[in-house]
Amino acid sequence: MKRFLVIVFLVLLISSFAGAGLVIWSSESQVPALERLAAEFERDYGIRVEIQQVVFGDIKSKFLPAAPAGEGPDIIIGAHDWVGELAMDGLLEPIPFLPQRDLYYDVAVEAFSYGGRLYGLPYALESIAIIYNKDLIFEDEVPTTIAELESIAMEVADDEIVGFVYDAPNFYFSFPFIAGYGGYIFKDTPEGLDVDDIGLNNPGAAEGVALIRSWFDMGLMPRGANYSLMDGLFIEGLAAFIINGPWATPLYRDAGIDYGIIPFSDIYLEPGVTPKPFVGVQGFMINSRSRSKIEAIEFVVNYIGSYRGQKAIFEIERRGVVRSDLYAEVEAEGGPELYDIIQFSASASVGTPMPNIPEMAAVWGSMEDALNLVINAQDTVGNALDAAVEKIKAAIQ
Amino acid sequence: MTLKRLAILLCVVAFLALFNAFAVWGIFVLYMDGRYSLAIVLGILTVLIDLFVLNPKGYPYRYMIPALVLLFTLTLYPMYYTFEVAFTNFGTGHLFTRPEVVQRLLNEYYFIPEEPTEYDFSVFLRIRDYKPTDDFILLFERIDDGEEFFSAKPDIVTRDSQGNILRAVGTLHEGTVDSAKIDSKNYRIIRDPETQRIITLISETGEAYQYFYAPKDPDVRANAPYFFSEIRGIWLRNAEFTDDTGNQIRLSPQTLFTTFATIERQYGLRTITDFSGPRPEQRTVVYNRETDQNLAERDGTFYDIDEFGREFSVMGYVANVGFRQFRRLLEDPRIRGPFLAIFSWTFTWAGLSVLFSFTVGLALAITLNDRRLMGKKLYRTLLIIPWAIPSFISVLVWRNGLFNETYGILNRFLVTGLFGAEPIRWLGEAFWARVSVLMVNTWLGFPYMMTVCLGALQSIPDEFYEAASIDGASRVQQFGRITFPLLMVTVAPLLVGSFAFNFNNFVGIFLLTEGGPPIPGATTPAGSTDILISYTYKLAFYGRGQDFGFASAISIIIFAIVAGFSWLNFKISRSFEEVSR
Repeated sequence: MKRFLVIVFLVLLISSFAGAGLVIWSSESQVPALERLAAEFERDYGIRVEIQQVVFGDIKSKFLPAAPAGEGPDIIIGAHDWVGELAMDGLLEPIPFLPQRDLYYDVAVEAFSYGGRLYGLPYALESIAIIYNKDLIFEDEVPTTIAELESIAMEVADDEIVGFVYDAPNFYFSFPFIAGYGGYIFKDTPEGLDVDDIGLNNPGAAEGVALIRSWFDMGLMPRGANYSLMDGLFIEGLAAFIINGPWATPLYRDAGIDYGIIPFSDIYLEPGVTPKPFVGVQGFMINSRSRSKIEAIEFVVNYIGSYRGQKAIFEIERRGVVRSDLYAEVEAEGGPELYDIIQFSASASVGTPMPNIPEMAAVWGSMEDALNLVINAQDTVGNALDAAVEKIKAAIQ
Repeated sequence: MTLKRLAILLCVVAFLALFNAFAVWGIFVLYMDGRYSLAIVLGILTVLIDLFVLNPKGYPYRYMIPALVLLFTLTLYPMYYTFEVAFTNFGTGHLFTRPEVVQRLLNEYYFIPEEPTEYDFSVFLRIRDYKPTDDFILLFERIDDGEEFFSAKPDIVTRDSQGNILRAVGTLHEGTVDSAKIDSKNYRIIRDPETQRIITLISETGEAYQYFYAPKDPDVRANAPYFFSEIRGIWLRNAEFTDDTGNQIRLSPQTLFTTFATIERQYGLRTITDFSGPRPEQRTVVYNRETDQNLAERDGTFYDIDEFGREFSVMGYVANVGFRQFRRLLEDPRIRGPFLAIFSWTFTWAGLSVLFSFTVGLALAITLNDRRLMGKKLYRTLLIIPWAIPSFISVLVWRNGLFNETYGILNRFLVTGLFGAEPIRWLGEAFWARVSVLMVNTWLGFPYMMTVCLGALQSIPDEFYEAASIDGASRVQQFGRITFPLLMVTVAPLLVGSFAFNFNNFVGIFLLTEGGPPIPGATTPAGSTDILISYTYKLAFYGRGQDFGFASAISIIIFAIVAGFSWLNFKISRSFEEVSR
């Protein structure tokens, strides 16, 4: 009975409070910056902005049922790869006009575009890079090619220390090598991604996967490599080279590891060819069912999209910036505190945005299957990739 | 005594009245929200509860009310909802109803004509008692030629249920240097002698409208909050004005709402005569007002045609698709192909999981039941641990700590360390992966079986064994003839339940292997350890977003399978009951 009453009460509460001011769902890290910008907006517009903290992983899953019922927030902060699904559902309001568009990196704006419309205002981007332990690798032997990395890693490795380890079966972490040689997921055309043209079994993709396989075959990479294994080994100082993103480096610093970062822009597969990581972009998206769309667009474009807004967020949440004017400032400032951001941003500069179309859901599992089969020597590279492409095609038909 | 009873009665009545008030309110809200089925469920529940409380004959049922509430909200309604969804295409791209989608197409899609007319605007407001009111006049200045137009507060056409204005309309009127006629009222215009800008408009009845706000004037920025929240937020948000050429102008998104511009609705409704059927039929269709093309409508989606002549989906809606989701289960090659392999593995997995955990549990129970065993309590506590640790943690320990090919304890210390054999690819090879999931599931499942068996063993009277030993029965014979049959009477239904649970033990599979390792050459996402529920989960949610309709159809089929086998199992297990008679 109590439970029931609580449910009824909640329904009433939600329906009576909706529509008052702007509501933003944000994960913890940006809240202080947003509160400042929200106060400014409130002063200028006379409209209250309420920032509700929602765990990042829950924002999309809570938004999906809430928004169609008209109970969602006006603005959510999320990852660009939600855009395809949410836009297809008709839950996102396009941003009609982005002032100073030319100051934004193309990769960040493209990441939030779907079907020729911009569905989010980017504020941070991130990408993965090679991270090495400076206690094991000397400054003067930092590799500039993958072949060098292999030989240095082989030299360093012994019974305890692992030369090179990363979450190889995970398509996200293995994509740089597949894309570096010319593999692609969906063909990029002027009208958007062409889901009928899948390039994950082309010669380039096969070369990349063969390279990954060779690391296991030559004993460089331990079998059963996965994220937690890599993370654990690196924290204990037992791994020389790993691949990870900016979210991990604070942990490594706290663990007392003296690490360096090699952006993918500084390491070559072959002359002139670098690995190409995925770029993930964070941004502000507007609920199409919002009763305050106009205000939401104004807040997002004028207060978040401005140089000041982007800087305010950057100062609180240190992540790769999406505006070139802000980046120039970050780069000029330099220093050890900004080292990570600069290195990871350099890595992102050779990357491609992770496709934001809903069809992407079929790619992850299929490619993980292919990588697992190849790494465990259960199938040849060609067969595994052909099967993966078949799976993707069957899933998105 | 009677006073106390009266007090209780009053309490009950008051509580019931409160409850009914809440329930009726809830039903009303749900009904307004279009959630009819939930409203009906709540209605039935309310009637039943009232009946039980008010009808003296229903007195004993009062105690069932909490159970009834849970039954309705957590079991019956979800079941009904699953059935409802299974016959629709509800999922990514199909979240709204068709009327909702049509409304949105008509009201939320706009295009800007090739040569839009743009207007700067300013607001003139009546101030009463030093406070701004919401009585205002708008001045529009055409950007092309600087021509001035005026409009009064727009007239409300439609409001939503909360009273928000969904549509308001007004008309632009021309003025002269010192006067204007707006909606048949005359206004005098007072201008700044130097800049010629309008400062005040005074109506014929003497009301003064002061210059209050213009988006491009920094001098009136202080008035912005009032303008945004009280004027634009309420009156101009959805206002449309007709200009002197008969075009509609609205706040322009292109300038971030700082100007008005001619903006056309992208879609409209029109009636066409459809000749494709046996006889001509009048139909209302949505058409694109820019291209004059009718939208195609298939599979619960509206399709438009872009400038290159290609079709693209505009928006989908929840449509009734009949048995299509069920037909997909039968016809989709992705399901038909690996279905038999997965189905038989699901049975093997559920059967062996029950068999192994029961065998281990029974063996340990018999050992623990032995009177000669010392330190029973300690053993029992230790043996319950696998049950007590959340499987989300323990399965991860198994996965990374024990089964890892290079670093796992099993390979490092047992397989290569002790036996010097080649490392086993625990989670990388089909056979070993199946061994692994069964090992982990046995480990997770035996404490339950052990506990159940311990209880059952203790209920077997000692006299049976005494009589058996006098007759000269060996311990093995005693187990086979007395212990096991009597045990099965109690345990058999639980084994059936355990089978049904493991048949759908999604977590057990997904946490450890996610269904993997993949089957070489397979063109479906099927893995070697995928059971029916984990495989179909992948089909429904790892394709193009989320396919709730399909997932519901699958759940219904799996429910039917499990129910069928449980029924069969119960029939068989009834034979054990006859032993005890």
